[in-house]
Amino acid sequence: MTGAAWLLRRLVASVAIVFAVVTFVFILIHVAPGRPCPENVDRAVCDELTRQFGLDKSLPEQYVRYLVALAHGNMGNSYANGRPVGTAIAGTIPFTLQLAGAALVLDFLLGLGLGIYQAVRVNRLPDVVLGNVTLFIYSLPTFWLALLLLLVFGEKLRWFPVGGASDPILCPVVNSLYCVVDRLWHTVLPAATLGLVGAAGTARFQRAAMLEVARQDYVRTARAKGLPERRVVLRHQLRNALLTFVTRFGLAFPFLLTGAVLIETIFAWPGMGRLAFDAILLRDYPVVTGTALIASVVVVAGNLLTDILLGLADPRLRVRATTDVEAVTA
Amino acid sequence: MQRRSFPSLTVFLVLGVAGLAACERRGGCTGANCGTIIDAAVAEPGTLLPPSSEDIVANDIGEQLFLKLADVGMSENTLGDEDFQPLLAQKWEWDGPLTLVFHLDPRARWHDGQPVTAADVEFTFNAYNDSVVASPYRPKLHRIASVTQRDSLTAVFRFREQYPEMFYDAVYHMRILPAHKLRPVPRDQWRTAPFGREPVGDGPYRFVRWQPAQSIELVADSTFFLGRPAIRRLIWRFTPNLQVAVQQVIADQADVREQLVTPENVERVRAAKQLAVYTYRGNVYTFLSFNQRAPDDTTKPHPIFADREVRRALAMAVDRASMLKSALGDLAKVPPGPMSALLWIWDPDIRQLPYDTAQANRVLNARGWRDHDGDGVRDKDGQPLAFHILFPTTSVLRRQYALLLQEQFRAIGVRAEIDAVEGAVVNQRVGTGKYDTAILSRANDPSPSSGIAQSWTRAGFGGSNFGRYYNAEFERLVDRAVTATTRDRARPTWRAAMETLNADAPGIFLYALDNYAAVHKRVDNVQFRPDSWAALLRTWRIPPDKLIDRDRVER
Repeated sequence: MTGAAWLLRRLVASVAIVFAVVTFVFILIHVAPGRPCPENVDRAVCDELTRQFGLDKSLPEQYVRYLVALAHGNMGNSYANGRPVGTAIAGTIPFTLQLAGAALVLDFLLGLGLGIYQAVRVNRLPDVVLGNVTLFIYSLPTFWLALLLLLVFGEKLRWFPVGGASDPILCPVVNSLYCVVDRLWHTVLPAATLGLVGAAGTARFQRAAMLEVARQDYVRTARAKGLPERRVVLRHQLRNALLTFVTRFGLAFPFLLTGAVLIETIFAWPGMGRLAFDAILLRDYPVVTGTALIASVVVVAGNLLTDILLGLADPRLRVRATTDVEAVTA
Repeated sequence: MQRRSFPSLTVFLVLGVAGLAACERRGGCTGANCGTIIDAAVAEPGTLLPPSSEDIVANDIGEQLFLKLADVGMSENTLGDEDFQPLLAQKWEWDGPLTLVFHLDPRARWHDGQPVTAADVEFTFNAYNDSVVASPYRPKLHRIASVTQRDSLTAVFRFREQYPEMFYDAVYHMRILPAHKLRPVPRDQWRTAPFGREPVGDGPYRFVRWQPAQSIELVADSTFFLGRPAIRRLIWRFTPNLQVAVQQVIADQADVREQLVTPENVERVRAAKQLAVYTYRGNVYTFLSFNQRAPDDTTKPHPIFADREVRRALAMAVDRASMLKSALGDLAKVPPGPMSALLWIWDPDIRQLPYDTAQANRVLNARGWRDHDGDGVRDKDGQPLAFHILFPTTSVLRRQYALLLQEQFRAIGVRAEIDAVEGAVVNQRVGTGKYDTAILSRANDPSPSSGIAQSWTRAGFGGSNFGRYYNAEFERLVDRAVTATTRDRARPTWRAAMETLNADAPGIFLYALDNYAAVHKRVDNVQFRPDSWAALLRTWRIPPDKLIDRDRVER
């Protein structure tokens, strides 16, 4: 099977997964108890709203209507604020990407660096100390870490803003260099919360991968040839240990999206996670389904990208994947 | 040539950017109208279209954007029209017992320059009354038969009946809407209309921008016909978490947090040098509602709570004062009935059931609820005296109270299980009668009439009287109280009504929060009207010598 055929198969499978997720979420949120009516609102008013939202129709009819609209690129309007769901989500994606991107960079740069550092000093004091520190951070609940960072660096020291994505007076929109800096400034605490926990995990994985590779013959050969240690580590050991890194990169997407729900809510970050969270509480069905759709696309795309990167990084995996597929289809 | 090392290049870049940023921060405004106030709000409105939204923040912002014809004064007196303050209406007069005539202020303008006319008033009433608009205020307008325009500046209200709060109903629930903007929009599309997110009002502040999930900004209308507001810019900053909102104020990143809710927050704010704490009467009370109908079949009586004596026993088993002390300290009071401290009928001397566990035990024994099988839980005919307490997961305070109630009921041999579910599920279950007991909160507007009638009389069946409490004597007393023309005449009747209700124990009235607000000390003339803290924002001011950076910023 050619690479193109493999990619096509994966794309078809990805579409099927996204479709399944949307269907599952649509059904789940509609059968979940609760109605999209504000608290204490008169029942007659609530009934009228329910009718206007089309919720008096049967579930299959609502589902078919939703799919038809979706096929036309229409994800519906929010029950809570009337905005088109596509517009509402589009407004949040840059913020989620900014946060997830910053967290991802911190996660992998710090995690990779620490993992390598620990591996080359295995079982020595720095390795033991860092191992315990990363384990401690990895085991921290992210919401607790978020509140702690807010309290210390936001409220007490006042080094960073307490929540929000920008200064509401100076930078309601990004229109200057100052506002770019301001936006980054606001990103520090939420990204640090997500990124630090991720980096702690990445460091532990990377250390293990480096040590696994260190036992391989080609590493020993490189040392025996008298190559400098720095070159042995970076060229021979790290390069082969990067497969773990790439795999974690793919797995990081769901983590960042799910972690972002909590972090965005605590830090008042206007991203997709907070949009989804609020929508679930308000039973804003179109927004819930819309955010699930986009999140599943991102996760599936992330995994697809990981598979492609893995294939590029390790030709053996390409051969294995092809063989596996052929074995299954035979 | 020597290469610049990477760290020093980074430092250079950071310093450069910081320098640029510092330049950008310079502001210019120095006069008496330069202030900026940032409110740390814990919710974001769905829409700013007044008839479509009842949420608190939308109302706070609506106060600045859209005027009423008149508004209640600081006395919060809703009887007659003496204590009302003119807003859009310059004056008014009664044309017979059922006709009220408003004369609009000819200086009033919409923010797009169009004059505010009686056609807008007529249009507004029709819109609020249209079932398609599904306004939560519609039920409060049912005694107004019509609104018409006599001429461009005269609006005529006709009522179906005569009652003391005619004027209040005419002015309090509706914010006047611009007909020229909204008439072209089909009513069934109002919820999705762009107007709700980019409103054109006639109030002291103009809409500037709405950054979804971030903030809403308003700017003072320097031509406002009732006088230019002293604060130049108002910003509502949305933070979905109360603790973080309080932190923003403490960290000097916001100026106002209008409700601090917990004693811990009040203490933290008091410790912040730049903040002042203000108190004002709260408009919410919280109670344990007893459902008098069976949750699985609402046509049948509840096996436990349909019995008045059992409800009374449960009420007597609860030490509300101690619970309040432990959960809220001095931040709340035990309500003497279904009312918040906002209501003028609040009277601590209203007779209530005492805390008396011995009496509670005696009553339960007498009703046949005894611990026959020795398992520590009373039972009757093989059924244990057990029920569920429902409340929303989002409320830490209600969780605390649920646990305290559970413990107090356990002490008299009653098993209460805790059901913490999402707010939407609480709403649905309570609305459809599928609950035993629930910890609910009610917000009062300044009038006791509509709220109490809706929540505790037969008029609220299928509406807000979720527990389906009914007592003919109580209803008779309420009917009499709402027809009294002065507070002095109404007070004894309200008191009798409340005592009748308390004796029936349709619920246990747990706490009524006093409002504690944090406001930056540089703000002067801070006044809170208890029913709407933001109603008088346009009179707040920041003296020029107290301006800080964010006040001076020009954009």
